[in-house]
Amino acid sequence: MLEELRGISPEDRVEAFLDIWVSGEGLEFASEEAREAYRYRAGLLKDAILLKKTPDRVPILPLATFAPTTLAGMSGKQAMNDPDGLGKAWLKFVDDYEPDALGGMLMVMYAPVLEALDYKLYKWPGHGVPEHLYYQFNEQEYMKADEYDHFIQDVTDYWIRVWLPRTHGALGPLAGTFPVYGSMELPMSSPWLMTLGIPEVQDAFKALLEAGRLTFEWFQKMMPYVGQKVAKGFPESAGGFTKAPFDVLADSFRGTTGIMMDLFRQPDKVLKAVEVLTPLMINLGVSLAKVNRNPLVFIPLHKGADGFMSNAHFEKFYWPSLKNVMLGLIENGCVPVCFVEGAYNQRLEYLTELPPGKCVFYFDRTDMARAKEVLAGKSCIAGGFPVSLIMTGKPEQVEAEVKKLLNQVAPNGGYILGVGTALDDPKPENLKAFMEAGRKFGKY
Amino acid sequence: MSDLKALTDTVVEMKETEALELTVKLLESGVAARDVFRAYQDAMSEIGKRFEQQVYFLPELIMAGDMMQKALEVIRPHLVEGDQGGGAKIGKFLIATVAGDIHDIGKNIVTMLMDINGFEVRDLGVDVPADRIVEEAKAFGPDVVGLSGLLTLAYDPMKEVVEKLEAAGLRQNLKVIIGGAQMDESVRTYVGADAFATDAVVGVNLCKEWVN
Repeated sequence: MLEELRGISPEDRVEAFLDIWVSGEGLEFASEEAREAYRYRAGLLKDAILLKKTPDRVPILPLATFAPTTLAGMSGKQAMNDPDGLGKAWLKFVDDYEPDALGGMLMVMYAPVLEALDYKLYKWPGHGVPEHLYYQFNEQEYMKADEYDHFIQDVTDYWIRVWLPRTHGALGPLAGTFPVYGSMELPMSSPWLMTLGIPEVQDAFKALLEAGRLTFEWFQKMMPYVGQKVAKGFPESAGGFTKAPFDVLADSFRGTTGIMMDLFRQPDKVLKAVEVLTPLMINLGVSLAKVNRNPLVFIPLHKGADGFMSNAHFEKFYWPSLKNVMLGLIENGCVPVCFVEGAYNQRLEYLTELPPGKCVFYFDRTDMARAKEVLAGKSCIAGGFPVSLIMTGKPEQVEAEVKKLLNQVAPNGGYILGVGTALDDPKPENLKAFMEAGRKFGKY
Repeated sequence: MSDLKALTDTVVEMKETEALELTVKLLESGVAARDVFRAYQDAMSEIGKRFEQQVYFLPELIMAGDMMQKALEVIRPHLVEGDQGGGAKIGKFLIATVAGDIHDIGKNIVTMLMDINGFEVRDLGVDVPADRIVEEAKAFGPDVVGLSGLLTLAYDPMKEVVEKLEAAGLRQNLKVIIGGAQMDESVRTYVGADAFATDAVVGVNLCKEWVN
């Protein structure tokens, strides 16, 4: 937790952390106007989240992963290989579209790092995906059905010695190392250390060191651009990220087919595994938010969406651990920002179980009028604008749709305007129409 | 007969171990493999119905597919030619996730449901180039082509497939349906498809209407 929050009662921590973020304290700004613009924008988000007062206008938060570089004429491959091009594209993007907050520059990632690691978990432009496109998750059964006991007993050992070798080709030899526990005593240390000396293991460590070095260098190049973006008065939209424990297990370990059969074949082990992951996912979100002094913790939600499972399965396997992660974040003053991919029309009532004015639910295809009805006075809602219209529609259609959406969900605050999914390839005139319509019709 | 009905029920209720034991027992007691196989087919059709009614979801569908596959390993040695044919097919369906998109969950659900609903299905997999889809359409002669894609990057490849089906002179003889989380009416128009679906059941029902 942030030091300043220690003396503050748990229920007031979210507001206190938001105040620290809005103040822009410790940040550098290009001018007094930029500082004021930053405070105004972050303040809009704060008011929308806390539900205590109606903001001056509806804040606008587009999710953009590859949109800035695509609009700058760069391919996905260039975006992932050219840090300066990436940084400049993002600076131009905020100048052109003036979002109230924007994050994700570092989510583009640096391709040479993935190459050094022989990364398997995603395919990326030039590596399994055409160069002009964007990275995609490569779902496989990276954890076998009979490995739950190892996972539950010692998840970090499992992670490093079983899962990393399968998902990061260059780290394959780590599978041949011993667990670290012998290091507790001199006479017991040598077996573990000896395995670290195996030539293939040494190569794996070299690859890891190289990946670390490349990422560090990339950060050195990227951070000044992130700083300049903030200095112009545009807040970062995420201080950290984490995931729903069930999604961690389902997406990156068991895969959809595996996990769905586990619900019938070994339900208790699934429940234990998500329980093991819960504190880790709280810590991940809190520690990043703390370093960045930004309470917004982004949580993309995947396999609990409508259609993925029944409410009975959702209640048993998905929701309790997600709720615990969210409560853990809130206790530490963080704001869980759930990016609810797909639709949550069958699940909206569960979301009312969170304490009021502490969370954001950023929707993709959920019925926004119903979301507003169910969550008004409970949690801030966001998004819901169809990405397809930005990509295939006309500016007049975009404007009319923004107006319609705002009429439905903006009244009395508690709404952040956003496109329902991450933008990769928007039509610029439509994105402009979207932002302008938001500013025009979103004024309270 | 009641044992076969019991087998169907245990499969529908996801009682995997019991179902497999019963399968072995029935085969050992001399029940025709063809009838045991039919009991599984009946179960699949009931599971498909429950999926449509939103009583069952992805976990049940995936589990059913796996139970069916495991059962077939036991049943297959006892089957004679023609046993596995099932009923008459109501139409031909070609499906693929379009070029540049590697997602298969949605595509697999549709494939399974179309099969349960009596279509002869050819599944081309993921990241399939437009030219290959057109070639397969030429060879297979589908009534419906289903194009799947999770991401917005699927819009242009879908459009390309429709244009190439047109150029090959195949478009007027078949229907094209696009499916995926980011599909809607504006995408359908853009792509030039006959219909869109964000929900597998809606898509399958449309295809059934088309071939009737």
